[in-house]
Amino acid sequence: MARELMPGQKRFSVGTVLADLAIVGWFVFSLFPILWMVLLALKTPAEQTSTYFVFSPTLENFSTVLSDRGTALTSVDFSSALITSVINCGGAVLVSLLIGIPAAYAAGRWQYRGSDDLMFTMLSFRFAPELMVIVPLFVIYNQIGLFDTTAGMIWVLQLVTMPLVVWILRSYFQDLPEDLEQAALLDGYTRRKAFLMVALPLVRPGIAAAALLAFIFAWNNYVFALILTDSRATTVTVAITKFLGGGGQAYYNLTAAAAIIAALPPLILALTIQRYLVRGLSFGAVKA
Amino acid sequence: MGALEVRGLRKTYGKTTALENLDLAVENGEFFVVLGPSGAGKTTTLKSVAGLVEIDKGTVEISGRDVTSAEPYHRNVAMAFESYALYPQKTVFENLASPLKSGRSGKYSADDQRRRITAVTTTLGISHLLNRFPRELSNGQRQRVALGRVLVRPADIYLLDEPLSHLDAKLRSAMRAELKQLGEMSDTTTLYVTHDYQEALALGDRIAVLREGRLVQIGTPEEVWKRPVDTFVAKALGQPEINLLPAEVEHGQIHTAGGAVQLAVPPGLDVVAGTRLRVGVRPRDIELSRTQADDAVLCMYGTVRLAERLGRLVELTVALGDDTSVIVVTSSDRAAHEGEAVELAVRLEHVHLFAGDDAGEETARLGSASTKERQQG
Repeated sequence: MARELMPGQKRFSVGTVLADLAIVGWFVFSLFPILWMVLLALKTPAEQTSTYFVFSPTLENFSTVLSDRGTALTSVDFSSALITSVINCGGAVLVSLLIGIPAAYAAGRWQYRGSDDLMFTMLSFRFAPELMVIVPLFVIYNQIGLFDTTAGMIWVLQLVTMPLVVWILRSYFQDLPEDLEQAALLDGYTRRKAFLMVALPLVRPGIAAAALLAFIFAWNNYVFALILTDSRATTVTVAITKFLGGGGQAYYNLTAAAAIIAALPPLILALTIQRYLVRGLSFGAVKA
Repeated sequence: MGALEVRGLRKTYGKTTALENLDLAVENGEFFVVLGPSGAGKTTTLKSVAGLVEIDKGTVEISGRDVTSAEPYHRNVAMAFESYALYPQKTVFENLASPLKSGRSGKYSADDQRRRITAVTTTLGISHLLNRFPRELSNGQRQRVALGRVLVRPADIYLLDEPLSHLDAKLRSAMRAELKQLGEMSDTTTLYVTHDYQEALALGDRIAVLREGRLVQIGTPEEVWKRPVDTFVAKALGQPEINLLPAEVEHGQIHTAGGAVQLAVPPGLDVVAGTRLRVGVRPRDIELSRTQADDAVLCMYGTVRLAERLGRLVELTVALGDDTSVIVVTSSDRAAHEGEAVELAVRLEHVHLFAGDDAGEETARLGSASTKERQQG
């Protein structure tokens, strides 16, 4: 470092310029597909295969996608699939939180024989490709009548959401000083009260983070919905692909519009709970 | 209010033993200090009494009731944690109200709660902080709030874990004086844990010294100070540490290697010629004297190697021979200069005799060098 820089002053050299260019290049590379999809979603059927950036944009595709009742263009009612997705994923996250929060607390606070193995087993659900279990699941779901049901989807999505919730929240509970709950015990509260009154409010940022991530992973899941649902409980990820036409015409512009609509709910959720994602709430609880 | 009795307490964490066969009997209303270095098992002792750790063996009785297997919230004890453990999402007022709202330390109306909280925060000087959150407080203020959460409620026993350790020196001595004057403290049985010998001596009705999970000595501050059972206790109390000089018995005399210290074997001390001993003298008990020595005084001659001025006091390192030196603390107006030859005098009852050691282990005290004092075993 040859000389001091004034605040706000930038060092100007060939290296930094190249680095900046590389970053810009990376952004273009990774954002271009999204830009392409947005452009595609605004094109008319006649323009959909053109590669020109100059065209007359229209919002018609969005209304076509949302008003398609699964009769005219595709075999799936897109807007009801959207609602089903919200119910499936919301339900799956809710169940995961209800069961996963106490599980994460127990796993974070108490070590017992095999507790690490148990946690690892739970995480390993995320390693295995879903295709590995999908065939037996398909057979079982058909047998016990869970095929193409919301309950069945919420259940199978636990494979996606539960490990996330438990693993993320376990580390939050581990970071929480045990003294706090012990103080509550000595204040005269039961263990359950100490958990609800002291520990739970302090991991709220963790709950928000875990819920958001779990929701996104569940939302993006494709394989389970593809195999385990038909028309009643099918999700938006499957519904999008229907616009590519199974044998009929492929509507690229409608597919793009559907994909954009499908990307909105996780985005809105993320923006809504972002303020709960701040950590450091427990600062000041115990000495630094 | 209540007595505490701990018998045969044993607690292990995995393979490490935190406490081994610990017996404590604390009387009703007593201020009992547990003193020991870090890792001695002090906090484990408190948490065992509070029921926050599961003990492996032994019993805990509070007010004559066996609570060994009782839940913490059934024991009616209050504890100030070393880490403060204030609820970060609650204000100071809510923190202090927490034990009053649980319903297990008595029923309090909103007015009663407010009255109690006002009383305790006034005493502790934190009444202006009621609406603040713990993160907005200094360490000293947090410590007071943690203490307040204990004092705000009646309890059989108060458990205080190093409540002054994170304060700066000035605040610590001020708080030490305050603690002693708190009415609640003097009425309620208190188990106080510290590694600071000055706190222990100043506050304790009695002191228990812990070392590596075992009880070394229990006694009043005076007993522990004047008759430490072994070199560990002797070294634990006092700063700078007690001087320990290796010595040997010969011809009815105890003398150190260089011959700088010569003592008559006191009557009642049963040692044969050739026995190895250690002579212990506290730095504060050594006087710089130029007066004629009498019989009840041990005299040593040496040269001042180092003089460190510590305000009102001066710490001198005095070489007694080629390889023996002692630390002397004396008031600065009578201090000697570096290089000066001095005569040191210690009253014989302040000369402690310990058994000889092998490679730095702690050894038992055999008695003092006094010719009058009855020898203690």
